[in-house]
Amino acid sequence: MRQNLPDDTLRQRLPIVIAGLLLVSMLLMLRLVSFQFQLDPAVTSYLESVRESGYRRTLRQSAVRGNIFDRDLQALAVNSLEYRVGISPNLVSRPRETAIRLAGIMGLDELDTFNRITSEVPWVLLSAGVSADQGRQVAELDLLGVTIEARPRRYYPQGSMAAQVVGFVGGDMQGYYGIEGFYDGQLAGREQEQMLSNIPFDVPVDRDEDRGSDIVLTIDREIQFLAESELENSVAQTNAARGNILVMDPRNGEILAMASWPTFDPNAWYEIRDDTLLQNAAINDLFEPGSLMQVLTLAIALESGNFQMDDTYVDRGYIEAGGVQVQNWDRKAHGVVDLTTILVESLNVGAATVSMQMGPATFFRGLREFGMGEPTGIDLQGENPGILFVPGDEDYNDSLLLTNSFGQGVAVTPLQVLAAFSAIANDGLMMQPHVFRRLLDGNEVRESSPSTLGRPISSATARQVTEMMVTALREGMGGRADLPGYTVAGTAGTAQVPTTLGYEAGTSVVSFIGVLPADDPRAIVFIRLDHPNEYWGAAVAAPIFQRMAQRLVILMNIPPDDVRRELIAAGGAVEAIQH
Amino acid sequence: MRQGVLFEHALRRSLRRQRRAVILALLGLLLAVIVGAIVYLSQAALDATTGRQLESLIAERNDLEQLNESLRAEIASLRSVPRLRQRAEELGFRLANSEDIDYVVVDQYDPRQTAVAPQIYAQLATPAPAYEETLAGWLQQQLDAFNRQPDALEGE
Repeated sequence: MRQNLPDDTLRQRLPIVIAGLLLVSMLLMLRLVSFQFQLDPAVTSYLESVRESGYRRTLRQSAVRGNIFDRDLQALAVNSLEYRVGISPNLVSRPRETAIRLAGIMGLDELDTFNRITSEVPWVLLSAGVSADQGRQVAELDLLGVTIEARPRRYYPQGSMAAQVVGFVGGDMQGYYGIEGFYDGQLAGREQEQMLSNIPFDVPVDRDEDRGSDIVLTIDREIQFLAESELENSVAQTNAARGNILVMDPRNGEILAMASWPTFDPNAWYEIRDDTLLQNAAINDLFEPGSLMQVLTLAIALESGNFQMDDTYVDRGYIEAGGVQVQNWDRKAHGVVDLTTILVESLNVGAATVSMQMGPATFFRGLREFGMGEPTGIDLQGENPGILFVPGDEDYNDSLLLTNSFGQGVAVTPLQVLAAFSAIANDGLMMQPHVFRRLLDGNEVRESSPSTLGRPISSATARQVTEMMVTALREGMGGRADLPGYTVAGTAGTAQVPTTLGYEAGTSVVSFIGVLPADDPRAIVFIRLDHPNEYWGAAVAAPIFQRMAQRLVILMNIPPDDVRRELIAAGGAVEAIQH
Repeated sequence: MRQGVLFEHALRRSLRRQRRAVILALLGLLLAVIVGAIVYLSQAALDATTGRQLESLIAERNDLEQLNESLRAEIASLRSVPRLRQRAEELGFRLANSEDIDYVVVDQYDPRQTAVAPQIYAQLATPAPAYEETLAGWLQQQLDAFNRQPDALEGE
């Protein structure tokens, strides 16, 4: 049984309770007031963010990606928009009419669209890849329940042209492969954060323009188109498995065309199942260069100072050293032979003899100086350095001194060959191959400047080797690579295809490299086809060079020799006028 | 007695005058507050209207930029080499041969000169606005904005 407290007890305890409550209240008040003055910065920051969240929200916007142009400012990669159109079926009052109108604009099946519009789901996607024009038409219908979401999209207006040079942008708007991958930082710009106020009186702050930079390439789309067309036709005619055609200006290292087959359409990169197609074969594929290497062997020999152009040797049809026997392609002895004839007749025994006489130190140092076994450093993603074993390497053996001299036992990329021969074409100076020409960043223009990879041979040696290549093209190709009116230097290569069990019989990798014109090089052209239906490079690749050269002299305004010399003698430069 | 009445009358009149002055002062203050509130509300409404117009203009500009990008992509597509070649052939053109070309001397022309890149996205420099506002001008502006307010609201 409960008893009421006596009045005097209550009177004694009540002040204590009141005092206690007052004390607690005061402490709470003090704590509350302390928030205004002394607070942990983390808590302050949190409280500020809570306060700000009521008034403002942050919108993250990706910057507009820079465009990619060829050297004449023709667009290779631009930005576009595509729309994602969906609908909330429960908001549609006249589904039949809506289906007909939407299907008509977006090119959809009417029945399928009607079925989607009458479905029981709260929202359904009608199409994810609606073009900007179609999106505008759908928006103008102003239909209730239709949602249109704009999405940025990278568009490659030239289709598959130069796809492996340009690369592509993935669904995450990040660049992959080629220029898109290598220069992603410059092209992408910076993501922006925009503060949007919920207070109607706040004047909106316009975002700063921070789009990515535009990049102008050294690629000439006319020459690129020529190279790709010629490559595609050649592959079709010879049933080759794959191939490359590269064109470079040897004077400054600018890549004018870089074509590979097979290739892909960067607008539909997601349909590619074989990842190797996305890689640039011109800088990634390795092959044995075959007889092309004989030119470098002779260049190194002449540069060493121990050989002269008219030096001779007795060709017995074979040579043995380092545990291997080297034979000529025709398995015949050619008697007394000079250095130029080694190139004209493409004699393996001659090249091996020269490399033997040079010795491994001079020979392999020379190959290194020509860039063999080293990446050229081109501004594209995924360059392969190639394979060159030199004395001291674990995998080196003495036979490589012989076999490397005519292009066996060494693996190179098409670009490495092009860069090495550009030294011969450019008076011995090897220029850095590059595809970046200019960067346009708002009002700022940044130009690329040519740089060198070194000087593997002297100017005098370069002229001698060029002269030998002119003779080799004139006398060794049966007229297949001649260009009437022009002096052209060139050589063909035929290489066996290495496998794990040795060399594959009956098939080859054919190649050709030509310099146009030989005395004042404007272009150096490299051609390579894998597994064509004819075996020899002179028969397959030389005619491709001939057709290329016929068009190149027109596209690049290169007059015939007599006209060019006459014009230069008259003190003028040259320009072409077409009738 | 009469003096006392007169003194009382004078005191009352003085008090009434003081009271009137206080009331007038309060009324003046009230009026100033009302005018201030009207000016503030007018300015706030003007800000809100301008903000919405600005928002609308920014959205329009963004749409136009996106449209430009799309058009640029379309133009680039129409200028692709295969399409141009096909169109040229339809118009009766053919590829030039070596025989079709004459070479001539061009005085003072150096083919190896470096070309100047056109500035594709050159931005126009906007001069900073000069501050020329006066108090009278500001008041007139507020008055105009206040007068325009009903129209602006009707327009929305």
